[in-house]
Amino acid sequence: MARVAEAVKYRDEVIEFPLEYSEENDIPDEELHEHLARPSTERTKRLKARCRYKHTATGEFVDPNLKGGIERMRFLTESHKETVGQPNAIRRALGLANILNKCTLVLQEDELVVGFNAEHPDKLPLYPETSYMTVRDYIESKNCPEEREEAIECNEYWKAHSIQALGERYFSPEELLQMYQFTSMEPPAFANAYNSVCPPYESVLEDGLLKRIEMAEQNKQNAMDTMRAENWNAPERLPLMEKIDNWDAMVIADKAVISWARRHGRLCKIVAEHFETDPKRQEELIEIADICQRVPAEPAKGLRDAMQAKWFTYLICHSLENYASGYAQKEDKVLWPYYKISVIDKSFQPMTHQDVVELVECERLKVSEHGCGKNRAYREAFPGSNDLFILTIGGVNADGTDGCNDMSDAILEAARNIRTTEPSIGFRWNAIGREKTKRLVFECVRSGLGYPSIKNDEVAMRQLHEKWGATQEEARDWALQLCMSPGHVGRRKTQKARTEGGGSLLPAKMFEITLSDGYDWSHSDMQLGPKTGDPRDFKNFEELFQAFSTQFSYCADLVWRAKDVTRYYQGRYSQLPFVSSLDDGCMEKGVDAMVLSELPNPWHNCMTNIVACNSLIACKKLIYDDKKYTMDQLIAALHANWEGYEKMRKDFVNAPKWGNDDDYADEIVKRVYEDVFAKKFKTITMYSGVSPMPGGQAVGAYLFIGARTGPTPDGRYGGEACDDGGVSPMAGTDKKGPTAVLKSVSKINSSTQKFNLLNQRLPVPLMRSTHGFDIWHAYMKTWHDLKEDHVQFNCISTEEMRAAQKEPEKHGDLIVRVAGFSARFVDVSTYGQNTIIARHEQDFNPYEFDQLGVEFANA
Amino acid sequence: MPKYGDHKNFFPIPEDADDFEPGKGDFVVEQKDEKGKFWLSKPVFADQEMSAQDVKRAT
Repeated sequence: MARVAEAVKYRDEVIEFPLEYSEENDIPDEELHEHLARPSTERTKRLKARCRYKHTATGEFVDPNLKGGIERMRFLTESHKETVGQPNAIRRALGLANILNKCTLVLQEDELVVGFNAEHPDKLPLYPETSYMTVRDYIESKNCPEEREEAIECNEYWKAHSIQALGERYFSPEELLQMYQFTSMEPPAFANAYNSVCPPYESVLEDGLLKRIEMAEQNKQNAMDTMRAENWNAPERLPLMEKIDNWDAMVIADKAVISWARRHGRLCKIVAEHFETDPKRQEELIEIADICQRVPAEPAKGLRDAMQAKWFTYLICHSLENYASGYAQKEDKVLWPYYKISVIDKSFQPMTHQDVVELVECERLKVSEHGCGKNRAYREAFPGSNDLFILTIGGVNADGTDGCNDMSDAILEAARNIRTTEPSIGFRWNAIGREKTKRLVFECVRSGLGYPSIKNDEVAMRQLHEKWGATQEEARDWALQLCMSPGHVGRRKTQKARTEGGGSLLPAKMFEITLSDGYDWSHSDMQLGPKTGDPRDFKNFEELFQAFSTQFSYCADLVWRAKDVTRYYQGRYSQLPFVSSLDDGCMEKGVDAMVLSELPNPWHNCMTNIVACNSLIACKKLIYDDKKYTMDQLIAALHANWEGYEKMRKDFVNAPKWGNDDDYADEIVKRVYEDVFAKKFKTITMYSGVSPMPGGQAVGAYLFIGARTGPTPDGRYGGEACDDGGVSPMAGTDKKGPTAVLKSVSKINSSTQKFNLLNQRLPVPLMRSTHGFDIWHAYMKTWHDLKEDHVQFNCISTEEMRAAQKEPEKHGDLIVRVAGFSARFVDVSTYGQNTIIARHEQDFNPYEFDQLGVEFANA
Repeated sequence: MPKYGDHKNFFPIPEDADDFEPGKGDFVVEQKDEKGKFWLSKPVFADQEMSAQDVKRAT
C-alpha cells in the first residue's frame, strides 16, 4: 500500500526506514493527505466542515456565492460627502467611524472568536477610495454587489478623489503603459492598491484603547496649550496643527472601534437570550459578550481576551480602515504573557494547553474565512488561497533567550491538526531554538502543509541591525511582513505600508526584451524598455550582460518612483488614524502611520530571476564561449518558439543550470543578484532616506508572468511558467542532490539581499519514516551553517497530485507550497499544478547523508 | 411596510451604550444556509420603516 523507503548501508550500518505511524502502511500513497487532518475537538471539526473559504483559482473565486459588499463603500462615501472641508486625517477617521457605527455585524454558530469584515459571511468589503479600477472590475463581474446601481454611483464618486489620478501626473503615458502591462514590472501602487501593514498588537493588548485615547487627548491638549502660549512663534507652532488633527483623528477612530467591539458583545447577549437554546452555548456567548465589552477598550487580562482583542485589531487594520494583505505578527511573543496567565497561573480565563490548541484552530478557521475585494492580478497571484496571511514564531526574544515557548507549540499543533492553507507560518530558525518546537515544525512540514517556511534568524537579525539601524533588542523582535521579508514588530517602528517594502520586478521578461532591443514582440507589441541595442551586434558576453543590466536599471528606477509618489499621496489622502493610534511613535509625534518612518525597511521583490540567469548562462556557454550557435540563430529559434529548432533547443536546455553546485553557472547568478540587483538598489534613495534591498521570491506570479513571457534561451517555450521563486532552481533542473542546491545558494552573499526564497521538495517515504527528523534536522543545520536565508518544503508524492488532478473532489485536504504561500492543490490551475509536480524531489542517499552529517538515532 | 420598533427582533440599545441614541436599536435576525446558522445585527431606529430585505429575513 504505502511506499516505504528502501534500506541503505551508511557508515557500516544498515539503516531501515519504517513509517513512524504504522497505520499509514495501509494508506495508499494517492490519498495520504486525506487522512492527516485531526481537528482537536468536535467544535473545530464542525467549523472546518462548514468553513467559508475565500479561495481564488485563476483570479476567480472558487465559491460562486461570493459577492462584493456594499456597506463599506456606502458608509465611507456617505461620510466623505458629509465631511467636505475637514482635514483629511479627520475625514478618514470619521469615515471609519461611520462604517463601524452603521455596519451589519455577523455572528456564526460555534465561534469562540467573533467578528467579521462584511455584512454577510459570503461578502467581501470593497475599496473604491484606493482603486477605482479594481472596484469597477468587481462591478462588471459575477461578484458584483447586489446593490449594483449604488455600487456604480459610489465608485464613480471616488474616481475624482482617487490617488490614481494624482499619481499618474508624474509619469509619461509611455511609462504608465509599460507599468500597466505587468510583464517586466508590477503596476504602480496608486493603481493596484495592493497593500500590507504590521499592526502594533502589543499596544492594544497591553494598554487598551481607552488608554490610547487618553494619551492622544493629553498630547492634543499639550499642543493646544503651546499654540495658545504667549509670544506666538509660527515656525515652531504651525506644524502643531497637523499633529492636533492626527490626534483628534486617533481619538475618533479608537472610540468608534470600542463602540463597534461592544456592539458584538450586545449581539452575543441577544443571541444567548433570545435565539440560542443550548445552555452550554448560551454560557459561552455570555462570556464572549463580557470579553467584547472589555476588549479592546481595556488591556487584555487573559488569553481569550488577547485573542479577541487581536482579532478585532486585525479586522480594522487589514480590512475596515484600509485593505492590507498579511497577518504580520510574532504571535507566540504577543500571546505568551496571556498563555502564562491562563494556562500556567490559571489566574484569569483558566484553560489547558489543549484548550489553547482549540482556540488557535478556531483562529485559523477565522483567517480562512477572511477575504477582501482586492485587485484581480493579486487574486491571480495567490491561486488556491485567500490572500497572503503569514504569522511568525520562534527565533529569540528581545533579551536573546529562546523565543520558542508553549504558545509556539500550540500554534504548530493547531496548524498540523486542522490543515488549512491559512495562515501560513514563518519559523525563525535560531541555533538556540529548542528541539521540542523544531520537531513540531518538522511534523507540519512532513504533513505536507508547505509551512512553516523557515528563515535564518541570525541572518535576519544582522540585517535589521547592521543595514537598517535597529538596536540589538529591536533586531531580535522581528516577524515576516508578508511572506518573506523580516521587519521589526512591537509597539512602534513597524512597517505600515507596502510602499515601504514590496512590489515586483520581473527579470525573465527583461531578459527576453534585451534580445529585441527593449521591444516586447511576444506579448504587448510595444517598446517595453529602453533601447539597449541589437544583440546580434554584441561582440561578447559582457555587452549582453550590460544590456540586461540596463533593462533592470530602467525598471528599478521607475518602480521606486511609483512607490514613493504613491507614498506621498497615501500620507495625504489615505491616512490610517487607527493604526497610528496604536504606534507609540505616531502617538508621541502626532504623525500619521503612512507618513512616519522611524525604522526603514525597504525592499523590492525580484521574481522570475532564474529564467533570466539560466538564459544568460546558456548564451555565454553556447554563443560566446563554445561558439556553437550565433545570436542570429538563437533569435530566429526564439521567434519560432523553437519549432523547427528542436535539436538546438535541446542544447540550450542542457546548458549548465543553476542549483547544481557548478561554478560556471553559479558565478553568473551571483553576479546578477549582487552586481545587477543589489548594486542598482544601492544607487536609489527611497522615501525613508535609505537605499533599499532586492528580495527574491515569486508568489504565484511565476505562473501568470510566465504566460506573458516569450521563449527564452534557457530552453523555455513561450508562455511556460517561470522559476518558482527567489533562488529556487528552475523546476526539474537541480539534478545533483540537495547538498548541491545548498552549496549553489550559499555562493550568493545573503547580506546583500533582503531575502531569497528557496523551494525544495522532500521525499514522502523518507520524511514520514522514523528517521525523517534525523535527516531533516541535519539538512537544516547545514543550511543554517551556510548562512542561507530561507528554505521551505513540499512533502508530497507525484502519485497523490496526479490522483487529485483526476478526482479533485476527493482531495480537498491536499495542500501544496506554491511560493510564499500554501494553496489547496485542487484550486490551483492545471498549469500551476503541473509546475509543482515538475519540481524535483530531492534524493537523500548515503552520499547526501554523509555530506549533511546525518546521525541516525537508535540506528 | 411595518416599522422596526414593532418587530420582535428589534432590541433597544441600552442608554449606557457608546452608540445609544433615542429610539435606536439592534435589529437581529437568524439566517441559515447550507453552511449553517448565523446572526446579523443591524443598527436601526424604531420609527424607521423596515426594508423589504429585512422583512423577508425576519420571516
